This record gives sequence, C-alpha cells and structure tokens, in this order.
Amino acid sequence: MAVFRLLRSVPSWTLPVVLAVLLIAAPYLGIGNSTQRLLLLTCILSLVTSGLSLSFGYAGELALGQTAMYATGAYLAGYLAMNWVNDVLLLVAISAVAALVVGLISGVPGLRLGGWSLAMTSFFLVLLVPQFLDLLEKYTGGAVGMVGIPGPRIFGEKLTSTGFYLLVAVITVGWFAIMRNLITSRHGIAFQVLRQSPVLASSLGISVYRLKLTAYAVGAIPAGIAGALYAYVDKYLSPHSFGFTLAVTVLAAVILGGAKSIYGPLIGAAVMQYGPLRSSDFEQYSQVIYGIFLIVAGTLVANGLAGLVSNALRKLENRFAPPPPVLAVDDDSARTARLTGLPALAGVKLEVQDLKKNFGGLQALGGVSLVAEAGQITALIGPNGSGKTTLLNMVCGYYQTDHGTISLGEHNITGLPTYQVARAGVARTFQTPLFPEDITVHEAVAAGSYLAPYVGMPSSILRLPQYRKAVAQANQQVDQVLQMLGLEHLGGVEAASLPLGTRRLLEVARALVAKPRVVLLDEVASGLDEEEIERLAEIIRAIRDSGATVILVEHNFRLVLNLADTIRVLAQGELIASGTPAEIENHPRVLTEYLGIRQEAKP
Amino acid sequence: MTPIWSGLSIGAVYALVAIGYTVVYIAYTTFNFAHAQLMMLAIFVSYWGFVVADLPVVLVFAIAAVGVGLVALIEEFIAIRPVKGAHAHLVTTLGMATLLDGVTRLIWGDQVLKVPPVGSDATLTLLGGRVGAVELVLIISVVAIGGLLTLYSRRSLTGLALLAMAEDRDAALLRGINVKFLALGAFVFTGVLAGLTGPLVGPKTFAVATLGAALALKGFVAVAIGGFGSLPGAVIGGFVVGLVESLSGRWLGSAYPTIMVFVVLLLILMLKPAGLFGKTKERVV
Repeated sequence: MAVFRLLRSVPSWTLPVVLAVLLIAAPYLGIGNSTQRLLLLTCILSLVTSGLSLSFGYAGELALGQTAMYATGAYLAGYLAMNWVNDVLLLVAISAVAALVVGLISGVPGLRLGGWSLAMTSFFLVLLVPQFLDLLEKYTGGAVGMVGIPGPRIFGEKLTSTGFYLLVAVITVGWFAIMRNLITSRHGIAFQVLRQSPVLASSLGISVYRLKLTAYAVGAIPAGIAGALYAYVDKYLSPHSFGFTLAVTVLAAVILGGAKSIYGPLIGAAVMQYGPLRSSDFEQYSQVIYGIFLIVAGTLVANGLAGLVSNALRKLENRFAPPPPVLAVDDDSARTARLTGLPALAGVKLEVQDLKKNFGGLQALGGVSLVAEAGQITALIGPNGSGKTTLLNMVCGYYQTDHGTISLGEHNITGLPTYQVARAGVARTFQTPLFPEDITVHEAVAAGSYLAPYVGMPSSILRLPQYRKAVAQANQQVDQVLQMLGLEHLGGVEAASLPLGTRRLLEVARALVAKPRVVLLDEVASGLDEEEIERLAEIIRAIRDSGATVILVEHNFRLVLNLADTIRVLAQGELIASGTPAEIENHPRVLTEYLGIRQEAKP
Repeated sequence: MTPIWSGLSIGAVYALVAIGYTVVYIAYTTFNFAHAQLMMLAIFVSYWGFVVADLPVVLVFAIAAVGVGLVALIEEFIAIRPVKGAHAHLVTTLGMATLLDGVTRLIWGDQVLKVPPVGSDATLTLLGGRVGAVELVLIISVVAIGGLLTLYSRRSLTGLALLAMAEDRDAALLRGINVKFLALGAFVFTGVLAGLTGPLVGPKTFAVATLGAALALKGFVAVAIGGFGSLPGAVIGGFVVGLVESLSGRWLGSAYPTIMVFVVLLLILMLKPAGLFGKTKERVV
C-alpha cells in the first residue's frame, strides 16, 4: 500500500517525460537503422492519429478527413521544397496552416448538418484525394507520384538522417505536450461534456457547433505537420499512401490506443506500425492477417489499450483508498455556509407571453403567459404532461417556439439557440441528472463556470497567468458551492457514480457556479430523501435570497407550498390558476385537476 | 433512356447493400461494414458455381445462400457478439471486411472474372432504352425485396419485434422478446439475402476482389441519402446513387460520377439532415 501511495504521489507527467526523453535519445542508445525508421514512422502516424482522437475521442465527431489533411501537408511541403524554399521548419508551419484551412472548409458543411454528416463528408474527402491529385497532375505528378523531393534542410544546413529523426521526435513530443495541456485544461472537460451530452454542453453556454469545429480544425494541424515531415521520409510521394487504407489504419490506431486518451494514439500508432503495416513482407497474406488482427484487437480492447491501463489503475486505487461516504453529516459550519455562502446574483424578470407549442398533432402548450420576478421563487406545478418541462425547454431554446415571446428583462430571447440563452444568464437542472462519465465531482461542477470567465485555448495550453487566475477563481467558487451543499468531501469522486439524490444536488451546484440570473429547477426534489429535501429547500431559499429568479418545477406539493412565493398551475397546456401558496391550496380547479380531489356537487 | 436503365440496375446493387446495412442497423443499432464483402463473396461463389463447377442454377443459388449465410453466422459470433457499441463494431467489422477481402484474393486472385447471366443474356429495348434481361430482373427483384421487407417489418409480429428492438433494446427484452436470437436471425438473414442475390448481381458487377470496398462505399452513401434505419430509404437511396453516377458519367464525363454523388449527398443532407426517410427527434431532455 505504501508503495502504491508513493507511486500515486509522483506527478502524472513523469512517465510521459521519461518516455519522451527515451524517444528523443533513441539514436544514441544503439538502435539500428530499421528500428529508427520504424520509430520515425510511428511518430508521424501518431501525429495524424492524435488529431483524430481530438475530434473523435474528445469532441465525439467521427471524422476521417485527417488523411486528406495529411496529403495536403505532404504534397504542399514536397512541392514547395522542390520549387521554392527547402526549410523543414518553415514548411511544417505552412503545412499546418494549410491543413487547418482544409479542416475548416471541410468541417463547416459536415458539422452544420450534425449527426453522421461529418463522418460522411470527411469520408468522401478522403476518397476524392486521388481525384484531386489527378486533377492537379501538373503539380503533384498524378498517379505516378511526386518525385525528386530534396533532402531536409534547416536554416540552410543539411540534416543527417539522425538529425531528421531528432527533429521529428521533438515535434512529436511537443505536440503531445500541447495535447496534454489542452485536454487537462478546462477545455478538456468541455470536450468530455460535449461528447457525452451536447444537450448539457449547450445548457452550460457552450456552442456545440463551434467547439466541435474547433476540435476538428485543431485536429487537422498535427495531420498537416505529419504530412510535411512524411514528404522528407522517402523523398517520394505516391497517391497510394493517402488512400482509404490509411484512413482505416488511423481509425484503427485511434480505437486501439483508446480514442479518449492523450497518449493512446501514440500506443495505437506504434501497434499499427509494428504490426499490420509491416506485414507487407508477406504481401499475399497481409490482408488476412490485418483483418484477423483488427477483429482480435477490437474484441480485446473495447476502450483501447490506454483504457485498460487506466481501468487497472482505478481498480487499484479503489482497493487501497475506498471512496468516502456519500452524504456528510450535516454540521453547523455547512449550514452556516449554506445560508451565507452565496454571492449576490443579479436576478432578472423572466416573462413568457402567449407561448404555444405543438408536437405533431399534440398540443403541449396552448398559449401560456406568465411572469417570474427576480428574488422570488415561482413554482410551476401541474399533472404529468401538462407542459411544465416543455415550457422550460422552450425557455432554454431546446425547442422551437411556435408562437409567443420569451424575454429576460428587456432582452427578447425567443428563438435563441440554447448556448446563447445560457450565456444570457439562464442556468438549469435536468429531470435526469446529466453527468459525463469519468469526470470527478469537482470537474463536473467546474464545467458550469467554463464561460465565467472564459479563457481561450492558446492561453490554456501555455498555462498563462490569465488561465491560472481563472482556474484558481473557479476552484475557489466550486469549493465554496460544494461546501454549501455539504458535498466538499466528494470532490475527487466520479460524479456519474453517485446516487441520484447526490447527483441532483450536484446539478444545483453546477447551475450555481455559472452565476446565473435565472435558475430553472426541473423536478429537483424527486428521488431525494427527507434530509436531502430539507437541505435542498434551504439552498433554494438561499438562491432566492441572493437575488436570482428561481423557477421550480415540482411534484412535491408540500415542498412547493413551503418554498414558493407564487405558484402557477398548468393543466393540458393551459394556465389554470396562479396565486400565493395559500390561494392555490384551496383553489377548487387545482384540487380537482391536480390533486384529484372530487368537489362535491353543490345542491 | 439507356443510361437511366443502367443507372437503375447498378443502383439496384447499391440498394441491396444498403438493405443489408439497414437490417443490421435495425437489429443491432450498429453497422456491419463487412456486408458489401458478403455480397462480393456471393458473387465469387456464383462465379465458381457457374463457370468452374458448372452446377445447375438452383444449386448455385442454394450454395451461395447457405455458404454466405454461414459466413454471416460466423461473423456474428466472432465480430459482433463479443463486443459492445458501434465504435468497437466499427473496428471488428472492418477487420472482417479486410479478412474477407484477403481470403477472396487468396482464392480467386486479382483478375476481373466474368459471371455469366442466369437464364438469357438477351438485351431488350424498353421505353426507348436498351437494358439487359438480367438487369431488368435485378431491378424488379430489388424493388420487390425492399417492398416485402418493409411490409414484413410493419405487419408481422417478428418485424414489429425487430422495430421495437431498434427503438429500445432493454424495453424489448422486458416485453419478452428474445433479443439475441432475433438479432442473430436478422444478421444471418442479411447473409442469406446477399447469397441469394449474388448470382443476379454478378453479371452486372463482375467478380473482382476490390468490389467489396467499392460497394461498401456506395451502399453507405445510399443509406445516408435514404436515412438510417429506413428500408424504403435504402432502396431509393441506392437508386439515386446509381442514377446520379450513370447520368453524370454520361453527360459530364468519366471524371465526375464520384464528385456528383458527393454533391447530391451534400444537397440532400442540407435539405434533410436525417436523410430522405430518416426521422428527427425534437425531444432531447
């Protein structure tokens, strides 16, 4: 156990750093020429693979276009080296930019359409590569290939083969360092949220389309770099190197290594390079061997090799350090924190006017108007199917509005996409709590503050002071909110593994760190036990007292009567009553429609 | 009219592949990337039956159906059953596809082999265009297969159970549907169907080891155009791809078919992102 603790206390970047040093130092450790070449090709393949893992593993978009970007980089670098200037570093930079452009151009139509469209369009992009090469035969050499690429030079100096290897190794290490910093930053968490639940991502103010496009386009950069480097490997480019086979190889490498892992692509690329790609020695059987290899590998490692390792680590960890109890004893300090811990929230009036929505022939909302004032709890009750959640979803922009307007103060938000509604200050919880797998409670809650304040990718990768400051600030806020909820001891536990009641409280926490102006709570008390409801009620009151507009959709009538300042009752898509808890409690229509109590017919 | 007929007949082949994808998609919500290879295998088997072994027609159909059905059965056991999730299936079925490509190449080599047509090789003049009798049979059979399968899936109990499974596997399980068995049946069925149609397709496509990859791609585009999980969509998608290819090849030149198919795919996806017959879900939360 002591050994294990010691191992875990070593920073997580130690092993990668050791491997990076080994990779760079390899030529001096007495490896042969063929091994060096294999390592070189592995580095290049891993760059392409890493790009795919960013869009596929993290952003959740299956895209096969990396091959096209790789080809772009290779042919562009080859042509420029022959006809303009032969400097590896310059050409690598140019190819990276060119690949980024190809990524943006090919990503926009595919991503606009959503679903499998990007997979389709990028797949086609790969198929069109040979046709483009043929079309540009004058420059690319067409089917014959590009011949006569000069040896690599750097600042006019000729590079030896070892020198070139060093350059490739350093670039590869550098790229993986960038990936590591990107994925472990707040953007990495945003990617995970995006991949597992675009619904959640947009409710946190993340533009799904833009983040996916960013992931796809950024993933093009290493492919372009790899292409430029590849042009120098054999000093000859053939269209066969950039076909469908490569696309499949890259995909297989990503899945084998583990799509959702930083270093997985490196492992996958190594396996592919040492295994199937070498089997051309016995050409005849290569496809058979490759096929069997894919079946076996795909069966054995569903989460990729990197997934196997991290699963094993987690098992060890759980064995030696059992997870803490779910609900901490509610002591006085937590209570005080709960009642005083919230910063002031600038609530704003939410107004809904004559809102209508039909699903096919079914009328979900038939012209509902209501107002929720800042600093008040407005409860929305009604039987199942009365349109409560539909109303919330329309406010959030998940559904198109058929008719009517929704406004926040003076600001009309009707028809805005969800992420813009969220940016306008609307935070919500979901009926079924949404938490991506594999992220801790602390990270899950911190995801709520992705935009407050937002730090761009470059400064996140470089860990600039601006980034550090934002993270420190967010961490402090998350700690504070978790403490309020009495959940601070769970910070390091996987959020998705917690019981329903705790996850509901966490959703409230996540909504709070975004500093919302309007908080929508969708059946937040269902599935909670007495003590948890008690705690929740205190928190909801605290949110109101700090100034936010609270809308509570709830079935627990007692809780609603206790908490709400005003109550609106919906039935069959119509507003049938509104008033104070006392009024609603004795409203005859509410009693029949909602509580199911029959009114005695008056004689 | 001749290009239209030829477009329809090659489209019928794409539609068959697309039907195979769709049936598996309905049963497993996953893709069997090796389906086009099953089709290719059927074509090679019918080449062997007609040319090498010189067997009677009925026997060739039977051997192709049983043989390819068996291969599908094996595939289900080694590549589909042991893994979960569409991503893992992507790797294993791609592996199966590569394996079948390799085996085909080992047995029959790289040459393009001509598969003789079943029955007459007459060419008819129909509606002002020339079309082979075999091609006509192929077009009609594909439309009939698509129609019958659609009817079957909507009217028969088994078909409804399959659709229920596609909608929600766990719920279907709770309703007492033997999900595993039914899915296996559907999978093997796609193999048998490929086997049965192989002798019809062969004369049109020839038997060549790269056929699988080409068919896989076009079949996939057909599915994307028609909409995932829709049988009529698969048939119409296949015909659309075939027609676009044939017409753009005829009027624009031989460099254009692939590019035009891409353009049409983009256009359709722009107008109907879920494909022609795909369903979009608005409810998300």
